[in-house]
Amino acid sequence: MMVVVENLVKRYKGTLAVDRLCMEIPEGEIYGFVGANGAGKTTTMRIIAGLLAPTSGRVLINGIDISKEPLKVKERIGYMPDFFGVYDDLKVSEYMAFYAGLQGIYGSKCSELTDSLLELVRLTEKKDAYVDTLSRGMKQRLCLARSLIHDPDFLILDEPASGLDPRARVEMKEILKELRSMGKTVLISSHILPELSELCTSIGIIDAGRLVASGSVAEIAEKLSQSGLIKIKVADKEENAVKILMEIPEVGEISSVAGVLEVKVNGGENICVRILKTLVENDIPVISFHPVESSLEAVFMKLTERGNENEN
Amino acid sequence: MRINPVLQKDLKTKLRGWRAPVLISCYIILLALILLLYFTGSNMLNPYNVNGYNPRSAVDAYNILIVFQFALLFIAVPAITATSISGERERQTLDLMLVTKTPTRKIIIGKIIISIAHTMLLLISSMPVLGVVFFFGGVGIADIAKLLLFYVFTAFFVASSGVFFSTLFRRNILAIITNYIFLGLITFGPFFMYLIHMYIKESAVLSYSPDYLEILAILFPSPVFGFTSFFFSAGSGYYGYNLWGSVASYIDGYIAQETGILRLMKPWIANGLFSIIASILLIFLSTLILNPIKRQR
Repeated sequence: MMVVVENLVKRYKGTLAVDRLCMEIPEGEIYGFVGANGAGKTTTMRIIAGLLAPTSGRVLINGIDISKEPLKVKERIGYMPDFFGVYDDLKVSEYMAFYAGLQGIYGSKCSELTDSLLELVRLTEKKDAYVDTLSRGMKQRLCLARSLIHDPDFLILDEPASGLDPRARVEMKEILKELRSMGKTVLISSHILPELSELCTSIGIIDAGRLVASGSVAEIAEKLSQSGLIKIKVADKEENAVKILMEIPEVGEISSVAGVLEVKVNGGENICVRILKTLVENDIPVISFHPVESSLEAVFMKLTERGNENEN
Repeated sequence: MRINPVLQKDLKTKLRGWRAPVLISCYIILLALILLLYFTGSNMLNPYNVNGYNPRSAVDAYNILIVFQFALLFIAVPAITATSISGERERQTLDLMLVTKTPTRKIIIGKIIISIAHTMLLLISSMPVLGVVFFFGGVGIADIAKLLLFYVFTAFFVASSGVFFSTLFRRNILAIITNYIFLGLITFGPFFMYLIHMYIKESAVLSYSPDYLEILAILFPSPVFGFTSFFFSAGSGYYGYNLWGSVASYIDGYIAQETGILRLMKPWIANGLFSIIASILLIFLSTLILNPIKRQR
C-alpha cells in the first residue's frame, strides 16, 4: 500500500478539522478527494505532505511514518497546493533550478529534468520568461512541473484545476492523464466532480472532517443506487399505479412531475426488476421505466447531506 | 561544494537589476559626503591653513564613519531578515520549500547568510572611503580588520534574531517591530541595568568603584559595549569628544587595571562570543518553530 492514513485527527483550538480519518491508497491509484469547502481536504493533504503535525493518528508512505522520518518521505512526495507559490522575479528555468536544488538536484541533471518537465506541461517556449509574465493556467502548470522535479512516486494535488478557464482545465486534465500513464500514485482534490470521475480510479468523500465514503467510482455509485430514484411514465391508470407501488415495502416517497412518477426506492437493481414486473402484471401501461443513475455529483450531495442530517 | 539553494536564489533575485548597484552607490556617496563635510568643517582641506592639521580630527572622522556603519548594520539587517521567512509565508512559497528534502536548518542558515553577505557587501564597498583616514594616520589596518570581524559577529547575531522573529510571526510588520524592540533591549538594556547596579552600590558604599568583571558581567550582551573597543586610536589613546568616546575611555580605564585573562577579554571579544552563542541558540529555536512536524498548531 502506497499511502495509509490511520485514525487521523486534527484539532485547531476547539475546532475539529479532521475526525478519525482512515484512508488507503494503493500504488498506481489516482485517488479523488471530494468534499465541500471546509470539509478538511486541504488539512488532510497538508498532514500527508508533512506540512502539518496531526493531533493524533499517523500517516505511512510506503510503510514509513512521516512524523518519524519526514525527510525520507519527502523525497518521494510531490506536493502542489491550491495556490501558485511563485517568485515573480525569477525566470521559469531559474524557478525550476531553485526547487531542483532544494531536492538535491544540480547541474546537467537539473537542466535535463527541467527541459523534460517543461515539455510535459507545455511550457518549453516559456523557459526564459519571467514567472510574473505567465498566465494563471501557465503558473498552475509550472507549479505542477515543480512538484515533479525530483520524480516523486506519490503526488498530492490540491485543487489543481481551481480558478482555471475551461481550456486550461482541459490542458491540466490531459497532463494528469499522462501522469496516470507514467504510473504515479496521485491524491487529487477537486470540486469539479465529473472531471474526477473520468480521471480517478477511486474516490473518497470527506464531510466535516470524516471520510463518509471511499472506493472505486462504480462501487460508490452502486452503494448510493441502493437508495435511488425511478422515473416511470404510464399511458393511463396513474392512480392505480401509485396504489400498487405503495404496497411494495421498498418504495418510499412517490411524486408526480409532469405526468411522470418519481419513485424513491431503497434497494438495488433487484427491486427495480420487481417493481416493473408488478406494474406489468397488474396491467399498468408502462411507457417508460427509467432508474436514474447516480452521478458522482449526486453521490457527493447525498453523502454529505447524510452527514449534515446526522449532525443536526 | 554546493551553494545553499536558498542563498543562491536570494543572491540572484536581490542583486539582479538596478536596485543593488544604486543602493551601494548611494551609500558610498553618503559616506564620502559625511567625510568631506567633516574635513571641510575642521579646516583640513584648506590649502592656506597655517595652523597645520590635527591628526586627532582624522580619528574623529573615523569614529563618525564607523558609528554610521554600525547604525546601518542595526537598521538594514533586521529589515532584510525580519521578512525573510514571514515574506515567504506571505508569498505562499514557504510550504513549497518545507515540502522538499532540504532540512529547515539549511533554509534558516541560507536566509542568515544572505543578509550577512548583503551587509558585508555594503561595508566592504565603503572601505575605500574609510581608507581616506589612513592618509592622516592614527588608524591602522589591524584596527579595521578587527572591526570588520566584529561587524560579522554582530551581523550574524542581528540576522539570527531577525530570522527568529520572522519564523515566530506570520506577518512581516509584526516580525520587524518585535525584532527592533528585541535589539533595542539587548543593546541598551544592559546599560540601564548597569546604571541601576551602580546606583544601588553607590547608595551602600560611598564613591564605590566597580572592577572590570562587574562591568563585563552586566554589559557583555550589548553590541554597543563590544563596539567601544574600536572607538579610539590605539596609538594615541584619543577617544574623541563624545558620549561613546567617554564610555570607551571609562571601560578601558578598568581593563588597564586588570591582569591575566580578564585583560584579554576585551569588550569586542566578550560580545563577539555572546553573539555567536546567542545566534546558534536563535537558529536552533527558529529551526524548531519552522519544522512543521515538530510544531503543533
